[in-house]
Amino acid sequence: MYKKNIGLKLTTIILGSLLAINVAAQNWNIPADQSAKNSSFPFNASTAKEGEAIFTKNCVSCHGNPGKGNSLKSLSPIPPDLAGAVTQHRTDGDIFYIISTGRVIMPSFKDVLTDQDRWKVISYIRSFNKDYVQVLSKFDSGKSKLVKITMEFDAKTNQIKVLVKANETTGVVSLKNDEVELFAKRYFGKLQIDKTNRTDANGLVVFSFPKDLPGDKNGNVDLIVSVNDDSYGEVQYQKVFKVGVPTNKPSLTEKRAIWNVLAKAPVWLILTYLFCVFLVLSVFGYIVYNLFKLNKSSDIKNLKS
Amino acid sequence: MLDQLKSDTITSDLLRHIRLNKAFIIWMGVLGISFLVCIYAYTIQLRDGLGVAGIRDYVSWGLYISNFVFFVAVSLIGMLMTAVLGLIGIKWASPLARIAEIIALAFASVAGLVIISDMGRPDRLLYVFIHGRVQSPIVWDITVVTIYIIISLLLLYLPLIPDFKICYDKLEKAPKIQRTIYKILSLNWNNTPEQQKIIKNSIRVLAILIIPVAFGIHTVTSWLFANTSRAGWDSTIFGPYFVSGAFVAGCAAVIIAMYFYRYNYKLKDYITDMHFDKMAKLLVLVSLVYLYFNLNEFMVPGYKMKKFDAIHLNELFTGAHALLFWSTQLLGLVLPIIILLFKQMRKPLPVMVVSIFVLVGAWFKRYIIVVPTQEHPYLPIQNVPLNFKFYTPTLIEILITIAPILLAIIIITILSKVIPIIPIHETLEELEEPEKVGNK
Repeated sequence: MYKKNIGLKLTTIILGSLLAINVAAQNWNIPADQSAKNSSFPFNASTAKEGEAIFTKNCVSCHGNPGKGNSLKSLSPIPPDLAGAVTQHRTDGDIFYIISTGRVIMPSFKDVLTDQDRWKVISYIRSFNKDYVQVLSKFDSGKSKLVKITMEFDAKTNQIKVLVKANETTGVVSLKNDEVELFAKRYFGKLQIDKTNRTDANGLVVFSFPKDLPGDKNGNVDLIVSVNDDSYGEVQYQKVFKVGVPTNKPSLTEKRAIWNVLAKAPVWLILTYLFCVFLVLSVFGYIVYNLFKLNKSSDIKNLKS
Repeated sequence: MLDQLKSDTITSDLLRHIRLNKAFIIWMGVLGISFLVCIYAYTIQLRDGLGVAGIRDYVSWGLYISNFVFFVAVSLIGMLMTAVLGLIGIKWASPLARIAEIIALAFASVAGLVIISDMGRPDRLLYVFIHGRVQSPIVWDITVVTIYIIISLLLLYLPLIPDFKICYDKLEKAPKIQRTIYKILSLNWNNTPEQQKIIKNSIRVLAILIIPVAFGIHTVTSWLFANTSRAGWDSTIFGPYFVSGAFVAGCAAVIIAMYFYRYNYKLKDYITDMHFDKMAKLLVLVSLVYLYFNLNEFMVPGYKMKKFDAIHLNELFTGAHALLFWSTQLLGLVLPIIILLFKQMRKPLPVMVVSIFVLVGAWFKRYIIVVPTQEHPYLPIQNVPLNFKFYTPTLIEILITIAPILLAIIIITILSKVIPIIPIHETLEELEEPEKVGNK
């Protein structure tokens, strides 16, 4: 998969540089239905702010800050300033498509950012356009609540079976031909399991599960399934399965160690430290006692004489 | 009768400097005003933050921490002079013990303040004690510095108890308050055999205790550096390297103080040419030990020139820090050793001049140890501003660095105006039992 991706990228880059450099900026060939897409939530200062954070992390290194004209000029084609007219004349759906699919040197953010995040980035980009009036999607985001996902593990075939249905008022409907992705949750981010598949006529999709995936000490793996339906939107479902190889890697901060907190300091170190301090304090006590005795002993002499 | 006369002369000689005179007031005035200027610089840092200093993300330990290491180093001389030489029974060193103790106390207590000047939020100092981790060398350092200050104070005070009594008896013209304090501090000293025994015992116990504590204070200071894996600090000999270097700086400081006291307080008969000769020899001895450690510290990694060590060492040997590095090594260490090998050069004035070179060299040596290592981080930051890469102290930073030096001198000056800097009681004791001393 990885290799294929590289190959694909290389081909794209080579073809892209040969054919498309000069027309790159205009020639996105965005399908009409994609171009007409809109965000399901309204853009406001708060979404723009969240979008800015995502933009700073993912986009600013090439595109620069919107309106500053500081995009990376060494690239070909030069990434446009996103506050500029070229970008701002596009529809929200256009920008969403461009961010999602990418082309030539613009990477695809489909698997990097969620739909929501991509829309937030657009909200941020739009915040530089005073004349912008948002068109909200007619799509009902509440519909995603109707989706019901069940997930099972088949130990014999080592497969994960996912069934996607929706509880409509008219009855249960199977979601057909929907994109479904399976992930295992990691310390940071998600690891995709198998390939992105599509549901069959019964709303069923099957993923083959690797036998060597490390789980926690009991072999538990947190699986996330993500379904993308045109009318129900993006729906995620999470469930823990005992499908991984039990792995007991104690956390580095579990035991007493030099690098741990005070409560988990090595015993020998605590004892050594306390012993030294105690030793010094007892000597100080002895000296104070001596000084006291010194003062006293003179008094006795005075009384005698 | 003759002895009585002699002891009276000694007492009045050694008490003569305990008075206010014009020279003292002028000297304190100059010190005080300069100190206030430096304190003003510190208030700017308090108001605007550590950004007013030249320290940045790369070099975050600049002049302040170099200064701290220097102060801890100089304070170590108290241990060498009172404890080591005292326990071995080297008689010539005993009149100098108090000078060494005054220097030790002044520098050790100011060292703690120097650390605070490197804190952006000094109001959070208490957190070090509340939330400190016993695993951190910084906590050990704070512990051991505090202990060392207390022991130095006790080692200064205990031999002073009989002298306080003498001060109370003889200084009848002194202000009443001063005499009352002398009386309280003398703890009813009557020179009884029992009291003498108690004092001797206590001093002995403290003299033994201060040796590991003093080694601890500077070894732990060296571990603040050596316990990280940075090129130039990652060294197993940093402890003894620091301790031996400390003796060099301390000896030089004592010699300079001796010279000052000898001429200003007219103590030619008590701080004699012999003392300068002996101190110069001691300085040569500790310098040779330090030179040996320097050879190891630079020769061994310099022979191997491992990747990151090489970057660091090239900066020192031939790069941006070469002038400072070779100056400290040659003017502050090698040349003083050679010069002091000649008998004519061990007279008071030349020894004092050489000591100034050694002490200034010692200060810059701490800078060489602390700063250059930080200019080459293992994980460089991209596109850093130029002032991250090349550390340049600002004027405010320099003033804040001078402040502790002035404060230490002020403490030393005041102490030597209220206590006899040559132990009177001990000097008289030796006069009484010349045969016993001779036999020993």
